[in-house]
Amino acid sequence: MSEALLEVRDVVTAYGKIEALRGVTLSVAKGSITCLLGPNGAGKTTLMLTTAGVLKPRSGSIRLGGEEIAGRTPNSIVARGIALVPENRLVFASMTVRENLLAGAYQRRDRGEVDADVERLFGRFPRLQERQAQEAGTLSGGEQQMLAVARALMSRPKVLLMDEPSLGLAPLVVEEIFRIIGELHKEGATIFLVEQNAHMALRLAHHFYLIEQGKVTFSGNPGSLAEDEVIRRAYLGSANA
Amino acid sequence: MLVDLAQNTLDGLTSGAAYALLALGFTLIFGVLRRMNLSYGPTIMFGAYCATWVSLNYQVGLLLLALITVAGAVLAGGYVERLCFAPHRRGSAIAAMVASFALWMQFEELATILLPRHLYAFPALYDGGPLTFGPLFLRVEALAMLAAAAAVCPMLWWTLYRTRFGLAVRAVISQPVAAELAGISAPRVFFLVFALASAIGGLTGYLIAASHEQVTPMLGMWTTLKGLLAMMLGGLGSLPGAVLGGLALGVIEAHTQWFLGPQMRDLIAYLLLFALLAINPPWMAAWTTTRSAS
Repeated sequence: MSEALLEVRDVVTAYGKIEALRGVTLSVAKGSITCLLGPNGAGKTTLMLTTAGVLKPRSGSIRLGGEEIAGRTPNSIVARGIALVPENRLVFASMTVRENLLAGAYQRRDRGEVDADVERLFGRFPRLQERQAQEAGTLSGGEQQMLAVARALMSRPKVLLMDEPSLGLAPLVVEEIFRIIGELHKEGATIFLVEQNAHMALRLAHHFYLIEQGKVTFSGNPGSLAEDEVIRRAYLGSANA
Repeated sequence: MLVDLAQNTLDGLTSGAAYALLALGFTLIFGVLRRMNLSYGPTIMFGAYCATWVSLNYQVGLLLLALITVAGAVLAGGYVERLCFAPHRRGSAIAAMVASFALWMQFEELATILLPRHLYAFPALYDGGPLTFGPLFLRVEALAMLAAAAAVCPMLWWTLYRTRFGLAVRAVISQPVAAELAGISAPRVFFLVFALASAIGGLTGYLIAASHEQVTPMLGMWTTLKGLLAMMLGGLGSLPGAVLGGLALGVIEAHTQWFLGPQMRDLIAYLLLFALLAINPPWMAAWTTTRSAS
């Protein structure tokens, strides 16, 4: 059992009076692919945005490698080694593919290594290399997703957060995305993945959590709960929270 | 006849250069913050007033006066950003705009307290007569304004497209949340863009004051109106558009004044804006409707 790199404890995040996260506790082990499943509105994206610092938690703790990061600014959290691939990709549409990657490396000062990383990522994503001078807004959905992942990797994060990478993509493209996630894991990455596509996610994850209505309701390894039960609750939510 | 046309066009380009610079300042702030800063003109006026106060009490060179104007505008701009826009960054856009309007009033009052008379002389840039290019006249101040615009535009382009800071600014304009996720500090970008816009405004304000050889508290209102009009004519949020809008406004005003008299000159700009809003061309529609994510 490897150590927890990211630990979330009793996090409460609210939008005004509405509590989207009502005390979420989970942990992401180093070198693992940990998956967060849950129906729409359960709080998955809210948790991702809170961990990345875009939203501030009302209470609770988030620790990265033992260091408290809850409530910090997004750019200081990036500096500490977390990168989020946001829902809907949010690529910089008017900037070129290459500029998008350079933006991901904004905080890094090692110019030579940044350029080397760009080349390495182009090697992993050849379609991005083909389109490196094109504006990101002209890319297809799948290509934009690759770009969003590559951009996040440019900061050399300790933990990669991914919010619904398969959203709105064709099945073949989804396969490719998950293949890349698998590759990244083999190279030692720690990945915390939010997915609606429970089926694909459970094939890859070492550990998963089920979140429903702002609370974690199940934690386990794929196979420990009958997959059908998990998928049913992830997509539809259970009758009582 | 042709000479008149050429002269008017030249005069129009000169005043247009000022409008273009003002519009650039508005556009930078609007593009990054997506909010209208109603205090932009007044901060320029504040800078000009600082320089006026210094020139009334001390003997100083022109360059120093220009620097004081820029410094005053940047200081005032920072004050506006901290007070009106930083606190409402995630909150209400209206609150920020109304607050900036309140500061407009504040700056005007401050100016009248510091320098109570309605009008003050401002040192001219040059004491001699206008330059002549064949049949055409060009005042030295006008040449300076054209030169300033011609220098600022490529410098701004270079800053936005060839520097790391410019990359951050463009990222924040494009996708503010994703920019923060990439490690860019949005609050720092806002503040620095404000400072940059204020510096450009200060330079423009100095040249305007030196050109008119006077300052009044109305300078804030005047620069706001012209800058906003030019920005909207050129397409809200577009930097090249701001320049083109400013130049176009200047040339249209100059020719209108020649053919229809000075009263029409001010009216034509508003008529033009009204027509544009009514027609709603694509470049305006893109910004008047909400921008979608990704």
